[in-house]
This record gives sequence, structure tokens and C-alpha cells, in this order.
Amino acid sequence: MTLHLTHDQLCDLVLASSSTQAESAAADALASSSDVVQAHLLACPLCSAELTSLRDSISHFRDASVSYARQEFAQSYAQRSSIAPPHSYLSQPLYWAAAALIFVAALFPLSMHRQHPISRSLTTAALSSPQRTTESDAALLADIDQKISADVPAPMEPLADPTASATSTSVPRSN
Amino acid sequence: MSPICPMSSRAITSDSHSAIQQAPATPLDDMASIMAAYEQRIFRFHLISIRDRDLAKSLTQDTFVRAWSARSTFRGDCSISTWLMRIALNLIRDHTRTDRFRFWKRVSETAIDVSDLSSHLPHRDSSIESRLIANEQMALVWESVAQLSDRQRSVFLLRFLEELELSEIAEITGLPISTVKTHLYRALATIRARHNATHKDSL
Repeated sequence: MTLHLTHDQLCDLVLASSSTQAESAAADALASSSDVVQAHLLACPLCSAELTSLRDSISHFRDASVSYARQEFAQSYAQRSSIAPPHSYLSQPLYWAAAALIFVAALFPLSMHRQHPISRSLTTAALSSPQRTTESDAALLADIDQKISADVPAPMEPLADPTASATSTSVPRSN
Repeated sequence: MSPICPMSSRAITSDSHSAIQQAPATPLDDMASIMAAYEQRIFRFHLISIRDRDLAKSLTQDTFVRAWSARSTFRGDCSISTWLMRIALNLIRDHTRTDRFRFWKRVSETAIDVSDLSSHLPHRDSSIESRLIANEQMALVWESVAQLSDRQRSVFLLRFLEELELSEIAEITGLPISTVKTHLYRALATIRARHNATHKDSL
């Protein structure tokens, strides 16, 4: 039976190969058994091939990912740059005129909003004096009553009580 | 939470508004320079983790917004790179937990596919056979990474994409180094199994 590297030993080798600095804990672990592991790798083509394949796979994954991310980042950065106006544009009068127009347009609803409270205050003032309204109504009604109950002018008296003359001219019959 | 880097994502989120108002001078005040230095790297981590262009852009912006909001809480106990990567990782974790993300991932037009990466594989060797093998190997890892758990995927990408040391990964994830190694071993076991199955099929 041929013994091969354990999974942990193989992982330590992969970790050590990807390490950029010698202070890696994986490298420390590897150092203690490196002689035995290296001797086995030299003698065992299966373990050696698997280690090489794993290292290459991870390396290809890293290289492709880094390259792809770099390109995506560059595209994203270019889009951001194209959206933002160049600095020199801000000095052009057209942009300031547009900004002023937008400012005035924004102020217009505010001025409309300010006019509404005046009419509202008038309405509020009118509503705030119900007693005065009641008094004027009472005076008006009193005036109407007075006019109705006023004495009838002399020429109009016959019309005022049409039954009065008949009563006065008729003589009561005695039985 | 890591003992070295005292900032957690929860603190970054909750303290953001107060930090904006009363922010003392910190190394993060010059955010334009920090973005110039780290934005591409943060974007790459988001892009390969989430596999969606628009979402990666959005999360990259969110990373720097959160960093800016919480800059007063950065004490310099860890590097800016580690701190930013930690924020990025927490954003990914928060986002991928939602059901909405799972739904949109299925239907998103901006989701990236392995074929998008194929053209970006550098071909040092002009042999067609070598190109095909390289493409197959890259695709194998790409598909295997998709099968990993969130934690394994993050640790794997931090190690093999960003080429960070185990101690840095431990700082970013808030995990002990031994746990980081365990996640890496399991991630590599998945890739190895896929690797061996492919080789058996091809024989």
C-alpha cells in the first residue's frame, strides 16, 4: 500500500505556495515537516501532480478574477467620469443661467404658498367674531319687525282692516 | 470581535450619525486618498464574492460611506486595509443573508458568469491545449467556490484572491487562526473533490 500526503499536508503546501511572506503560519507548519513532505513529493508523481494541478487551478482563478475585476472597475470609473460634468463647464455662463432658472422655478411655489396664509387669515378673522355677526343679525330682524308693526298711514287705513267699516256701518238688529 | 481591531460592523452602523457630527482628526479624514488606494481592491472582493456588477459597485460605495461615518472610531490598531476589508465582509454577510438577495441573484442581468472570466485568463503559453486546460481549471475553482459556505468562501477569497496572511484574515473575520485554517482546509477539500471527479471523468 502506497501512502500519500494527507489532506492537511497538501493544503499546507498550497497555502505555503500562495503565501507572499515567510511569516505565514502555514509556512511555519510546513517547515517542521518539509523534509518528509518534499521527499515524498519527489518520490510520488500522483501527489506531485495533484499539488501542481491545485496550485495552477487556484492561480488561474486568481489571475482571471483580478483581470476581470480590474476591467470592470475601469469601466465603472469611466462611466462615473462621463456622468459628472468636467470642471471647466462649471465656469460657463450657460450653466449658471440654468441654475438661476431652476432656483427661480423652485421659489415660485414658495411664493404661492405664502399668499395662501393671507386669505386664510382673513377667513380666520371673519370666523373669529361670531358674536358680532349675531348682533348684526339681531338688529336686522328687529328692524324688520319694527317696519311690519309700524302704524299704517291714513290713506291706507281702509285697506289695512277691510272688515272694520262693515262692522261700523251695520246696525245690529234687535229681535 | 477581534481583540486587535476593535471596530465591529454593528458599531460602525449604529454610531455613524454621531461620528459625522463630532469627528476628531483621524487617518481616515483624507477619504479621497484612501479611496484611490483601496477602492479597486474592495470592489474586486465584492465582485468576486457577490458575482454581481451593480451590487458590487453599490457595496463598494457603502463600504466607504460606512468607513467615513465611523472614521472617528478608527484607532489605528489595525491597518486601514484590514479595517476596510472587515467592513466590506460584514456588508456582504448582511446582504447575502436576505431572501431578496437570493431572489435577485437568480434573475439579475448583471450577475457574472464563468464565461465572463474566460477571456481574462492570461495565456502565457500560446498552445491551444494549455489554454483549454487553464480555462477548465479556472472554471472548476469558480464553480467550487460557489458551492462553499459563506464563511468558507470569504476565507478562501481573502487568502487566494487577496493573498492575505492568515493573521490578517483572522483580524478581518474575527476568527482564531486555527479556525481560519480549518475553513481553508474545508474549502480546499471541496475544490480537491471537484478536481478529482473531473479528472476521473476525463480518464
